[in-house]
Amino acid sequence: MAMAVFRREGRRLLPSIAARPIAATTPSPLSSDREEGPFGVRSISTQVVRNRMKSVKNIQKITKAMKMVAASKLRAVQGRAENSRGLWQPFTALLGDNPSIDVKKSVVVTLSSDKGLCGGINSTVVKVSRALYKLNAGPEKDVKFVIVGEKAKAIMFRDSKNDISLTVTELNKNPLNYAQVSVLADDILKNVEFDALRIVYNKFHSVVAFLPTVATVLSPEIIEKESEVGGKLGELDSYEIEGGETKGEILQNLAEFQFSCVMFNAVLENACSEMGARMSAMDSSSRNAGEMLDRLTLTYNRTRQASITTELIEIISGASALEAAK
Amino acid sequence: MASSAAVPFWRTAGMTYITYSNICANLVRNCLKEPFKAEALSREKVHFSISKWAGGKPEKPILRSDTPGV
Repeated sequence: MAMAVFRREGRRLLPSIAARPIAATTPSPLSSDREEGPFGVRSISTQVVRNRMKSVKNIQKITKAMKMVAASKLRAVQGRAENSRGLWQPFTALLGDNPSIDVKKSVVVTLSSDKGLCGGINSTVVKVSRALYKLNAGPEKDVKFVIVGEKAKAIMFRDSKNDISLTVTELNKNPLNYAQVSVLADDILKNVEFDALRIVYNKFHSVVAFLPTVATVLSPEIIEKESEVGGKLGELDSYEIEGGETKGEILQNLAEFQFSCVMFNAVLENACSEMGARMSAMDSSSRNAGEMLDRLTLTYNRTRQASITTELIEIISGASALEAAK
Repeated sequence: MASSAAVPFWRTAGMTYITYSNICANLVRNCLKEPFKAEALSREKVHFSISKWAGGKPEKPILRSDTPGV
């Protein structure tokens, strides 16, 4: 009778070990914890499984907390990002958007986050930046990178480091405001020569959708050249200019201000996307931790039952041996 | 018509339009009354660290902090 019980248990154990790679591949330095029953079936000690369950549960708690923090930060930034869209819309209405313009010196401004655990947003931005580089590099043309954020810096450092001209970090330490971004824009303007600036960032469409977008800002000289060619920019001459300034003057002020506004909006949208991506990453990670915990609980219970059964068998077979001897 | 006839003083001093408008904004913020003033000035805090790169190597980073408008 005892052997029948054990055979049943053995059959139950075998599939459990085969289906659970965790149980089967736990390293053998813990050999003192292992028990070898007959038929070569090995089971993991309950202590090991219990430790693992505890650490997985902690991880689940931490990722849940991170998700809530990201959700609250998202709520705060989202309103500001949507409101800041109104800053650059008049510029696009006036000057048009020319992403495909062909210029000698392009500068690609890549926006990314400083902290990790935010899903794939930083790598998509870097991919788009590299694609822009390939599109715009050529015999007389020059592309430089300005990188904002630690994560993109680390990725781009590997293969484009000779083309990086500026990197900026710690931008998100204080809450984002226009003054900060405008000082940054000023620094970029003063340090980098450009004909066209292409800002690459993740535009926030919804909590689960962020698309990498490119915003193009042209330098005033290029705008003058293009306005002679015609098209949207050619209509600039139909505007009357007040005050003692010339058209070139105004274009220069406009171009600088446009850059600053577009940067502000881009930084806010990128921050929103980062929070949204972190929320979904932490959410899927806590769900995975929950599933892992369920599987571990099953393994734990089976191991516990197996060890109880083994003890029972030993007692019973010992007792029946004594009886037989009598 | 004129070329760069009357270039405004701030442009000859080396400032960009961004810097100019930031200084003006700072002046306006300083005109507020007390509780609103502190709130508005807290919106001007700047903090980031920027470093130029030359030939694939970053130079020493400059920390720009709490200097709005400059």
